[in-house]
Amino acid sequence: MDAAQIPQKKLTSSIKLTFLFLLFYGLMHLAPALSVNIGAGTSFTFFGPQIVAAEEDEDEEEDEDEDEDEDEDEEEAEAGDGEPEEEDLSYLYDIGPAKEIQNAQFVFPGLGNRKATWMAAQLHILFASFILGCPMFVVIMEVMGARRTQGVRKSIILSNVFLGVLIGTVVGIIGEIIIGIHLGVLYGMWACAFGALVVSSLNYFHKLMDVKSSALAAGVVGTIFACLVTPVEHLETSAIILAFVNGIVGGLLANLIMFAEADFKFERLAHEITKVIGICYSFTALTGGLFLLVMLVAYKDFISYLVNTFPVLFMIGYPTLFILETIVMYIYVYSWEPLNKSNKKGRHIVTGIVLNILGLTLLCALDGPATFMQTPPKPYGELFTVMSEWDRLTTATWMPLNYHRLVGNGTFGGFMVGIIAAYMYLWSKDPKEKEYYDWVGYMGNAIGVMIMIPLPAMGYIFVAEIYQYDATIGMYIMSDRESMFMLVQGLLVGTMFIASNVYMWISMQRIENAQRFFPFMKIGFVLIIIAATIWFTPRRFFATMLPEPGMNPAMVLPDNLAFLALMVAKNTAAFTLVAITLINYIFYTIATRTGKIHWGKINPLGLYTLIFMGFSDIWLMSWMGTIRELSRMNWHIYKVFKDVTPEKFTPALGESGFFVTIIVWIFFLIMTAIIWLGIKYPKSKEEKETVPVEATPQMAE
Amino acid sequence: MEIKEKTFRQNIKFKLPVFMVLSGIIWVVAGKFNFPIWWQIEFVAFAFVGLVIFIIMDLPAMAPEKGPVQTTVRLLGAYAVPSIIFITVTAQLPQFDPLYELEKLNRPPIKLEGLAGPEVIAAGREIFESNKCFNCHKVFWEGNSDRGPNLGSKQIGLYSTDYIKEQILNPRKDQAPGFEDKKSKKAMPTYYGDDLSDDELDALVAFLKTLRDPTHIPVEGKFPNQWTWWDDPKIVAEGKVVYEGLEPQTEGLNCAVCHGTNGIPLMTGAFDFRDPNNMDTTKMPDHMPLPLKDWPDELYYKRVTRGIDASPMAPWGMIFPHLYLWKAEAYARTFHDPLDKRTEKRPVPPIPTKEEIARWTTDGLFLDPLL
Repeated sequence: MDAAQIPQKKLTSSIKLTFLFLLFYGLMHLAPALSVNIGAGTSFTFFGPQIVAAEEDEDEEEDEDEDEDEDEDEEEAEAGDGEPEEEDLSYLYDIGPAKEIQNAQFVFPGLGNRKATWMAAQLHILFASFILGCPMFVVIMEVMGARRTQGVRKSIILSNVFLGVLIGTVVGIIGEIIIGIHLGVLYGMWACAFGALVVSSLNYFHKLMDVKSSALAAGVVGTIFACLVTPVEHLETSAIILAFVNGIVGGLLANLIMFAEADFKFERLAHEITKVIGICYSFTALTGGLFLLVMLVAYKDFISYLVNTFPVLFMIGYPTLFILETIVMYIYVYSWEPLNKSNKKGRHIVTGIVLNILGLTLLCALDGPATFMQTPPKPYGELFTVMSEWDRLTTATWMPLNYHRLVGNGTFGGFMVGIIAAYMYLWSKDPKEKEYYDWVGYMGNAIGVMIMIPLPAMGYIFVAEIYQYDATIGMYIMSDRESMFMLVQGLLVGTMFIASNVYMWISMQRIENAQRFFPFMKIGFVLIIIAATIWFTPRRFFATMLPEPGMNPAMVLPDNLAFLALMVAKNTAAFTLVAITLINYIFYTIATRTGKIHWGKINPLGLYTLIFMGFSDIWLMSWMGTIRELSRMNWHIYKVFKDVTPEKFTPALGESGFFVTIIVWIFFLIMTAIIWLGIKYPKSKEEKETVPVEATPQMAE
Repeated sequence: MEIKEKTFRQNIKFKLPVFMVLSGIIWVVAGKFNFPIWWQIEFVAFAFVGLVIFIIMDLPAMAPEKGPVQTTVRLLGAYAVPSIIFITVTAQLPQFDPLYELEKLNRPPIKLEGLAGPEVIAAGREIFESNKCFNCHKVFWEGNSDRGPNLGSKQIGLYSTDYIKEQILNPRKDQAPGFEDKKSKKAMPTYYGDDLSDDELDALVAFLKTLRDPTHIPVEGKFPNQWTWWDDPKIVAEGKVVYEGLEPQTEGLNCAVCHGTNGIPLMTGAFDFRDPNNMDTTKMPDHMPLPLKDWPDELYYKRVTRGIDASPMAPWGMIFPHLYLWKAEAYARTFHDPLDKRTEKRPVPPIPTKEEIARWTTDGLFLDPLL
């Protein structure tokens, strides 16, 4: 060992010691976060000395509060006994004058604390929905637009499995809840995903290329796999049928996507939407920060309680996921053209799928606290003793809300693309551009409507679980103070289906020979109006379960007509709306295949209808969020943490409707600016510089 | 692609008269079906929505925008139209007063200590309301749903306190007749034992105990398939046990001692239930000149619970639970109107109105003053 190595070794030892010291110091300071996780009765503690001292002091303080007078007497007695005084350790934890200073409760001027929180939260959720919903849309479009190189075909295997998981889950949960198939969601998910995996893999090697054979093979293999991995004692026929159907769906989609003819329009669409996603991502973070700050001022005790209820989630899980998603999102946005140029489109698609997986994980993670507020696990006394953080996160409504938001965000993505298309069509002068954006509007509407079809079922599943948890909440929504809110929801759903069909009607006016379907479509419109009327028909026309002062108690449907307000009538109406829309969509599809479409010649009314629909969808989404939040009544966390502020009551319908409209206007004003900045402005700049409008096409392999 | 575009006049020439005729028909038909006025307005409003949609569908194509100003104006219009619709609808639909809820939320929790009977009953009703019991249970005319039994016409107040408590805390144990279907069986939540304090439960039961009807026999079943106790074989069988003095809950009551096991009176002057034309006693000031077959439920109830002056027919209602007395009456009726020979069931009485219920108290139809 030479002399030069000795200082080097010393240095290494010093670094190790410093590192150990830092590790120890860090561990001690992590204690507040870990303390909640450590079960009662454990002998091991991560607590640092200050924390322990503070806890002991807190216990003493509680005792003092209870027996203040007695303590004073005891102290006097102890002093008289001449025993040595205990050392005063208060300097270790005394925070200084701050403990004496009581700030007056701040009230947001003009809004009040509740509405300020409401606005910040709603805006955050809308932007978050955009950055979760649109990437789903974008990846599908990117796959559809990518030339089928070897790398792309590999990535399509993964994207098909991902799509299979999503579709299988949605179909499966409908089978489980509506039809009553035990563990239907697992059968659906496994069969669809595995069916898609098998067919995609075989298709990759140019095997099983026929659509029918693919569907059959996926149905059989998916069913076998689903039955093998789903943990049930008795296999039921209904479950096998569900798995088989899902397998077929997975196989069909996998085959169709794998061999779809690449169309560059899809690639361009995906790329343009991605530019908007990047800016929306910043707004999501911004509004999220705003929401947190508002909560810290307006409801500091509650937000502190909530964060401490989920320490691992908020201190480790959420930041990690958020940072990862941010990194992947920027990689996805900025690697688009470089990877295209270097012929690595497959890698880019995989990045998009990873982005979606991270986004969905984040969505599910944050649904935990949201549903904990509404349906905290029972018994409440065991929330922090017997139950772990995972138990608190996975509440009764956690998965239903995940399903609901997954489908809702997909719909959101479709309609937002429709709005982007409408804007860009209106802002474009070039006929080719108009043709293209006319087509984008068609795609946005098609995807938005198709995903919207299972949405009522997802809502039903969510509310059914709420009823199961505590029927009082369900009744508050359906029959009491929120009954008129739900009536408005019915009106909105009807409006959206009507607008969607009007858009199809207007679109078909620019297709040759499509007019032959118009007489049938008119009959469909009559049925839609009747269905919407039934959906809107309430049991009573006063806003609470029982009439309150000033209400007219006679405004109740007679018993023999009450069936019009029951679920049977509503389900029939919903089925009619969905069925007519599907039939019209089939007419529309046949028309596009049999007649010449004059892209770019759409009646501008169609574009305004797209905006109308997008606005209605986002208004409805905000409205449903309002209903969900207000259904906790005067509780921040139902039956666990009471709201004792002056604004704890449910605001009236008219006031809520006006406020939601304001929030949605703010969102759309920002979105208009984002669309202009993200797509229109760069395009105008490019046009001036006479650079081709399209994104750089992929190079040949 | 040639579509014949219509002028606005051509567009509405046919549609407007159709709408007007249709609206008139809808209004009249809805009125005939007894839809209240708000529903009539709703149906016509939707017909108007249909008119608007059909007009929109046949409108001539909009001219392309002439410049950014027109584009902006139209864009704002596209947002303004749904905004105006949604703001108007939410403002025009029935509203509630948030301060009324706030007032309720600010009330102190219910403590029975120091409260008198009527105050406890009022507190119980408040609990009934706040736990949304009205969502499934009507109480006579109040409430909107027949998902569960109407606790007024079922007369839940006739049952014992223990039975009512058991039904609240463990609703799956004893399903109400007519509600045995799968959906009804799991409809009643099982968490009230956790949610209600002892005081709240006691107050709730005190309120439910007041739900009785002195003018009608209890009604069972789920609307519209309901029946009265008169035609309920199970009740009639239980009534026989009471009538013959074998019911432990009414020890000391034996109708058969005077009226006879087979309906043949064993005591002079005892009412003969076998003769449907037997008239009501003239000994009582509220005598009704009606033969037995036409007696209203109210008369049966009064004669049994209040007794007959200057006769061995004691006011049994002062001694025994009325639940059993109604059952005994249902059985006594079979002497002149046997169950197996009835061609049709007795009609289910109409739900008593608020005014009728008020009369029960003012006319002293109840033996106790609590309702």
